[in-house]
Amino acid sequence: MNEDMMNEDPVVRVQIEAPTVADLRAFTDELGPADLGCRAIPRQTEGSFVVDGYLPETRLEAARGSRTASRVSLRVVDENATQTGRERQSEVGDGDRFASRGQLPRGLGRKE
Amino acid sequence: MAYLNDIEIESALQNLAAGYPDSTELIDCPNVTHEGRRSRVLRVGTMRDAAVDGVLLLGGVHAREWVPPDALISLAADLLEAHEIGTGLVYDGKRFSASEVRQVLESLDLFIYPCVNPDGRHFSQTNDPLWRKNRRPNLSNESCVGVDINRNFDFLWDHLTKFAPNSGVSASEDPCNKQVYRGPSPTSEPETKNVVWLLDTYPQIRWHMDVHSAVPVILHSWGSDQDQTAESTQTFLNSVFDSVRGLPDDRAYGEYITQADLDIVKTLSNRMSEAVKAVRGDEYPIEQAFGLYPTSGASDDYAFSRHFEDPSKTKVYGFTVECGRDFQPAWTEAEEVIREVSAGLLAFCLETSSMAARSTPSSVDRHAASE
Repeated sequence: MNEDMMNEDPVVRVQIEAPTVADLRAFTDELGPADLGCRAIPRQTEGSFVVDGYLPETRLEAARGSRTASRVSLRVVDENATQTGRERQSEVGDGDRFASRGQLPRGLGRKE
Repeated sequence: MAYLNDIEIESALQNLAAGYPDSTELIDCPNVTHEGRRSRVLRVGTMRDAAVDGVLLLGGVHAREWVPPDALISLAADLLEAHEIGTGLVYDGKRFSASEVRQVLESLDLFIYPCVNPDGRHFSQTNDPLWRKNRRPNLSNESCVGVDINRNFDFLWDHLTKFAPNSGVSASEDPCNKQVYRGPSPTSEPETKNVVWLLDTYPQIRWHMDVHSAVPVILHSWGSDQDQTAESTQTFLNSVFDSVRGLPDDRAYGEYITQADLDIVKTLSNRMSEAVKAVRGDEYPIEQAFGLYPTSGASDDYAFSRHFEDPSKTKVYGFTVECGRDFQPAWTEAEEVIREVSAGLLAFCLETSSMAARSTPSSVDRHAASE
């Protein structure tokens, strides 16, 4: 890990939930440019709409105090998504498991 | 087991091509990435003479979404092995028969491009796990690195002029934007160029599925505004609507799509969603790609737009699936997501094959004429 990475503000993964898409959008509009995942597609749950956000810790506090924050609920899913990702890096292949040209990859489906 | 790294993805493709020479072809994409990586596409199917419909499956456009490339390698390996030994495929609660496997391998031309953005994947897997873009430094400010490949395609790329100022379109002209920088010009990036090259070089491609994560959801066209089927002048080609495009729930503009096209994309999305659910009960709802905000420069809309921009080009139906609920789930969960996506993609391919068989003069008739 280099020095820049150690100085990074932790990225918090948060679920933003609102009773309507309009409420959700009003909040994210006020939030300004933010990482709302691959595409900001709200998931519909029972009576509400949810989108994931990835915010530096400092921005999360500002978001909680925003004008439209009363129309949404913010639930922290991962207090440090960057750290979680770094832990996942240990689950990445090391080297080349297919270096032998005869080594065929096998899929996860059962052949039957 | 573990996630594939960028080297293993290429080795896996080469070994699959070598192991199944009668039903594969390895395609070298012409554009090398900024860090010098060459990416490849595995063409899968026994009919590789442009007589059958092509399906393009993309993965790894966004670096931090680790599951899609592994899912596409797994699917390719499953199909090739099952076809060779004459079995079906089972993904937990979803079963595909041996004849369905044969139908996919023998009536479609699959282009499996598992890792469009290998530089980004390498960086995400070894340095910043939340990295999304490619790794090409910006020429005017080298401290800002990377372009979002999925905002770099030539579909309403110039979001500043093509959308209403208050649309909140998900794209940025700022090279230092860490997520959605669109690049200096449309199709500026080698990774984008490779996808465009595939669509240009293989006009038999009629179906385009970009595998991403994580919502989960299955998305169909359009992403630029809410769909409407009544006003044919309201299209992305019509600059009269540039100032009002992209706003939700308004009457000023909606992106035009014919009812017939809408029926096709919804039918395919439904087949995919049903298959995913059968695996372990997970719901992948079907949505239009216009979500909280419009999107510009995305691969699915670009693929679909090409025919309307130039009618001599094949009409390619564009989709995106956002699989699973995490960018990088623990590997045990990733395996479950891979099974879901595999089942969904296989059902998608089967439905495209069935649609081709029902329509004329599409693949089945073209194939028959060539024999």
